[in-house]
Amino acid sequence: MVRNASVTKKPIQVEIFPQKVLMPNTAEQLLNGIDKVPGVIRMLIQGPSLPRQVSCGPGTGAPVDHPDRRIINVSGQAFELNVRVGRIQVEIEDRSVKENIRKVAEENLPFPFEFREGFFIRRKATLVDYAKYGFKSKEDESVNLEDTRLLGLVDPKADPKDRICMLESEDE
Amino acid sequence: MAYTPQYYAGNTSVAQNRRNHMSNNVQKVREISDEDLTACLGHRAPGSDYPSTHPPLAEMGEPDCPVRQMVTPTPGTAAGDRVRYVQWADSMYNAPAVPYWRSYHAAMNHRGVDPGTLSGRQVVEARERDMEAVAKEQMETDMTCPGLAGLRGATVHGHSCRLQEDGVMFDMIDRRRLEGDVIIQDKDQVGVPLDRKVNLGKPMTTAEANKKTTFYRVGNVAYRDDPEAIEWLQKVWELRTVYGYQPK
Repeated sequence: MVRNASVTKKPIQVEIFPQKVLMPNTAEQLLNGIDKVPGVIRMLIQGPSLPRQVSCGPGTGAPVDHPDRRIINVSGQAFELNVRVGRIQVEIEDRSVKENIRKVAEENLPFPFEFREGFFIRRKATLVDYAKYGFKSKEDESVNLEDTRLLGLVDPKADPKDRICMLESEDE
Repeated sequence: MAYTPQYYAGNTSVAQNRRNHMSNNVQKVREISDEDLTACLGHRAPGSDYPSTHPPLAEMGEPDCPVRQMVTPTPGTAAGDRVRYVQWADSMYNAPAVPYWRSYHAAMNHRGVDPGTLSGRQVVEARERDMEAVAKEQMETDMTCPGLAGLRGATVHGHSCRLQEDGVMFDMIDRRRLEGDVIIQDKDQVGVPLDRKVNLGKPMTTAEANKKTTFYRVGNVAYRDDPEAIEWLQKVWELRTVYGYQPK
């Protein structure tokens, strides 16, 4: 079966992969820049963790107090940055938004970066999602989640609290 | 004429640096005090005596043994020190030392050491004061850049991560960081906070690190840029594989 769906209106995902891992100020500027681009559906930041305390070895339990684990503001919403930002994946409404995202990255990153399109954040519920959230009802077997944009943003076994930040756009 | 050992083949800067590390032809570039070193290692309180695991050998009355008479014990062994470790992580982004070359440096230039080499970290176990001698030499010389290498007893993660924006190797438990233009360490190698800030000195610039590194790496000096090193690698491989390598 051939579906003549419009290619230009299909959500796509892009990834920004900087040459160096980002300090909080640069990450904050970049995330704010991306958020201002019309057509951004969701973003995912990934990188090595900045733990609160030492988790292994003879120093286990000692406080880390990492100066870069701090609160950043994205579009007026404050959240604690608990990773050193190494890559940013963005889902956008269609391909026309892609170049705007690249432009924001060029403006905010003082060093080279890789920019690629691909499939990074899943859109469909997996078995583990169904195990965690269940079905909506006996008749409706879709996953029992109000906002399916949350799928793939955090590990299903992790606590989503403090890991997901909902940003309200001005037109909502 | 005295024999000069030829440690490593190759005509590139990386091959020369590897030879320098093996033959201990390294330059002292910074000063770390004994107390700061002891604090960073975290095995005993700075300024305290070395705890011992047995009485000094001179008091023990050793058996009459020709090997014991031939081999002079190291200072740590003679005093009966405990065996303790120092462990390094070196960034893959052109740090001056590769784990294997830290091991070669320790094993070829120090007695009584037990180097262990892993993909991203390198550990030396020895009697405490012997280990401190190795650690001090490696810390103070140009085989270590404080920005691209770190003392990491646990949580060594970071050697293969991209560098941070400030050019420093990532350390998830923040043992050391760039303050001004120098690297400051305020935790010991396992992440327990210290009561002092140890100045580890200036990190190397990118150009300097590229010149001093022992990493073959595309973008700087690729292994394929060194035909002599490859020729010897292939020769050793052939001798070992085809004929049963028996160095004599």
